[in-house]
Amino acid sequence: MEEENGLMMRVTGLKKYYGEVHAVDGISFAIPRASVFTILGPNGAGKTTTLEILEGIREPDAGEIEVFGMQLKKVTRAVKERMGVLLQDGNFEPYLKVKEVVRLFASFFMKALPTEEVLTRVALQEKTNAYVKTLSGGQLQRLAVGVALVNDPDLIFLDEPTTGLDPQARRNMWSIITDLRDQGKTIILTTHYMEEAEALSDRVCIMDYGTIIAKGSPRELTSRLGQETIIEFNTSSLSTDDLAQLESYGKTAREDGEIVTVETENLVHTMEQMLAWSREREIPLTNMTVRQPNLEDVFLLLTGRRLRE
Amino acid sequence: MRGILRIAAGHLFTAFRERVTLFWFLIFPVFLLAILTLIFGNMGQEGEISFAISVVNLESNTAGPVDFAAIVEGVFEETGTASEEGKEPLFTLTHPSDGEDLEEFLAREKEALRLGHRAAVIVIPEGFNQELLERMMRSSSSPSGNGALTIYINEGSAASEMATSIIEQILAGVDREILTHIGHFQEEEAIPSETLWVGSGGEELSYVDFLLPGVILMGFFVNGLFGVPGSILFARDRRVLRRYWVTPLTVPHYLAGFSLGHLTLCLIQFVLILVLGRFAFGATIKFAEPMPILFLLLGAVTFLAFGFFIASVAKTANAGMASANILNMPMMFLGGLFFPIGGLPTFLKVIVYANPVTYLAEGLRMSLGVQGETFSIPLTLAVPVGWIAFCIFVASRRLSWDVK
Ligand SMILES: Nc1ncnc2c1ncn2[C@@H]1O[C@H](COP(=O)(O)OP(=O)(O)OP(=O)(O)O)[C@@H](O)[C@H]1O
Ligand SMILES: [Mg+2]
Repeated sequence: MEEENGLMMRVTGLKKYYGEVHAVDGISFAIPRASVFTILGPNGAGKTTTLEILEGIREPDAGEIEVFGMQLKKVTRAVKERMGVLLQDGNFEPYLKVKEVVRLFASFFMKALPTEEVLTRVALQEKTNAYVKTLSGGQLQRLAVGVALVNDPDLIFLDEPTTGLDPQARRNMWSIITDLRDQGKTIILTTHYMEEAEALSDRVCIMDYGTIIAKGSPRELTSRLGQETIIEFNTSSLSTDDLAQLESYGKTAREDGEIVTVETENLVHTMEQMLAWSREREIPLTNMTVRQPNLEDVFLLLTGRRLRE
Repeated sequence: MRGILRIAAGHLFTAFRERVTLFWFLIFPVFLLAILTLIFGNMGQEGEISFAISVVNLESNTAGPVDFAAIVEGVFEETGTASEEGKEPLFTLTHPSDGEDLEEFLAREKEALRLGHRAAVIVIPEGFNQELLERMMRSSSSPSGNGALTIYINEGSAASEMATSIIEQILAGVDREILTHIGHFQEEEAIPSETLWVGSGGEELSYVDFLLPGVILMGFFVNGLFGVPGSILFARDRRVLRRYWVTPLTVPHYLAGFSLGHLTLCLIQFVLILVLGRFAFGATIKFAEPMPILFLLLGAVTFLAFGFFIASVAKTANAGMASANILNMPMMFLGGLFFPIGGLPTFLKVIVYANPVTYLAEGLRMSLGVQGETFSIPLTLAVPVGWIAFCIFVASRRLSWDVK
C-alpha cells in the first residue's frame, strides 16, 4: 500500500556497529518513487554500509526496512529481481568480454534488456568485444552502471557512480541518472561531491559519523543559511586580530588555515569593508569569489569541517 | 538455469583465455606424460646387459618319470649365473622369499613387470609335467592349451622384447635337448608356450597404458585442488563474487555453474591427453566402458569437491594456494599414481589408505584392466564418495561470497 502512496522505501532506526565503530548509528529516511535520493557525506560516513544493508549484502544490527510496500527481514530474490546495484568496489571477471559480462548478468534475472540496449545506454557500444581487463577506469565504471540496469530495475542503488570519472564522463553519468528518474525509476545515490548532489537530487541526506545530520531538498538545505551571500578568498597568514576584524563584518570561518569565508546579507557594504581592511592591513584577497551558499556550506555550518579535504 | 549455463561458459572462457590456467590444464599433464614415459618406459634398456626376469614354477606334481618343470627352471637358473668371471649373467633372476606363497610372488612380479622393473616373467604352470608327457605319448600336434608355459612381457619396453627373443631361443634349445633325449624330435611337440602381455585378456598393454590413467587423474587433481580455489578465491578477492550476490543468483546456482564449467574443462583435458597418449605414445587403453567412465567422473568430482573445501576454509587466494600445496604433496605422492605404494613405512601407509587418490587410481586401473584387483570395487567407490560428502558439507557451511 505504501507503494501506492508513492513511497519506494522507508528505513527506520537502521544500525550497524563494527566493534567500536558506529558505521551506521540509527538512521531513518523515506524515499518517494521516481526520485533521486542522495546520501552525501565524507569518507567513512557510513554511506556504503547503509546501501549494502539495503542491498542485502550486510545484516543490520537493528532497524526496519520497507521496500516495494513490503516489510523486509531479509532482501529476498523477488526484491533482487527488481533492483539494480552499482557497488562501490564491485568487479567483473577480467577475461570476459564486455558483452559476455552483460549477458552473464542478464541470465540471472527473469526479465532482462537486450545487451545492445544496455551498452548503448552507457555509451560502451565500441567496447562490446573488449576484455574487461582492457577497460579504463571510467569505462569499467560505465560497464558497472550498465550491468546495474540490465534487469530494467525499479530501484537502483548507485554507490559513488562518478568517482574517478573525468568531467565529461561525469556529465554523461548525470544525464543517465536523470533519464532514469524521468523513466520513473527510483535512484539511491551516494557521493561526496556536493555539486553532484545539488544537480541530481530530489532529496539529500547529509551523513557524518553514521548519523544523518540534515535532510531535505537541496534548496531546503541551503536555505537554512538564510538569504546570505558568501565571500570567499585564500590567504595563508591571518592574525587573531585580523580575524576578529573580519568577524565584525559577517559570520567568518577559516579552514585549513587557507580558505576564508565571510557570510553577509548586504554584499556591497561588506565588500567595501573588506577592501578597506585588505588595503589597511596589506592582506591580499587572493582568488576572491562571491557565491550563493551550497551544500558544502551546509556541511561546514553543521560540522565545522569541509566535505573534501 | 540460464544463469548456471552462463556461469559455466564464463568459467570455460576465462580458463582458455588465461595463460596460467592453460598451462596447468593442458601443457603440464602432457609434459608429465612425456617425461614419465621416457624415464620409466625405457627403464632397464639403456646400458643394461643383464635382463631382470623371474621364473615362477607352479608345478607341484613331480611324481612323474621326468620333472620337466624342474629342467626348464634349471636352464633359466643357469643362464642367471655368470658364465665367466667379471661378465654379467644374461639374466638376473628374482626368487620368492622363504616360505612366500608362489601366487603372491607371481602377482608381485607381474606388478614389477608392469612398472618396467622386470623384462619378463616366466610361469611354469601346474600340470606342466603331465601335459608334456601326454604330448610325447600321443605324439599329438594339437596343443590343448592347458599347461602351457606362459611368458609375461611388457610390450612397451625394449628390454622385454629383447628378453623374449632370448627366452624363445633358450626354450627351443631345451626342446631339442628333451626330445632328443627321449628319442624323437618333432617340431610340433616342442614345449608349448604362449607369450602374454601384462594385463588381462592378452591385450597389448604398455607402460604408457599404465601411466595414462595416472596422468589423467593427476590432471583432474591439479585442476581441482589448485584451479578451483584459485578461480573462486581470486574472484572473491577481486570483489567479483560479491557483485553476483546482489542479483537473484544463489550460491548453489553459482557452484552448479562453476562445477559444470569445471567438469567440461576436465573432459577437454581428458580428450587431449588421451589423443596425445594414443597417437604420440601408442597407448592402446580403452576408456569407453561404464566403469572407467564412472571412475573418471568420480575422480573429477572428488578433486572439485576438495577445491570447494579449500576455497571455503581459506581467507584469501594466497592462503588457498598454500593450503592446496599442503594437501598436494601427500595426496599426489602417497596415492600410487605413478609409483607403487608397497614398502612404505606404516605411518605413511595410513595416509595412503585415507587418500582418495589411492582408491581412484586403483579403481580406474582395475576397471581398465591394467592392474589386478587390489581393493574391492565398492571400496574404491565408497572412499572418494565419502570425501566428496565431507568436502561439500564443509564448503556448503563455510563458503563465503565476500572477503572477510
Ligand atoms: N567490514 C567492516 N569492518 C569494520 N569496519 C567497517 C567495515 N565496513 C565499514 N567499516 C567502517 O565503517 C565506517 C563506514 O564505512 P563506509 O564504507 O560505510 O563509509 P563510506 O561513507 O561509504 O565511505 P567512502 O566515502 O570512503 O566510501 C568506516 O569507519 C569503516 O572503517
Ligand atoms: Mg563508500
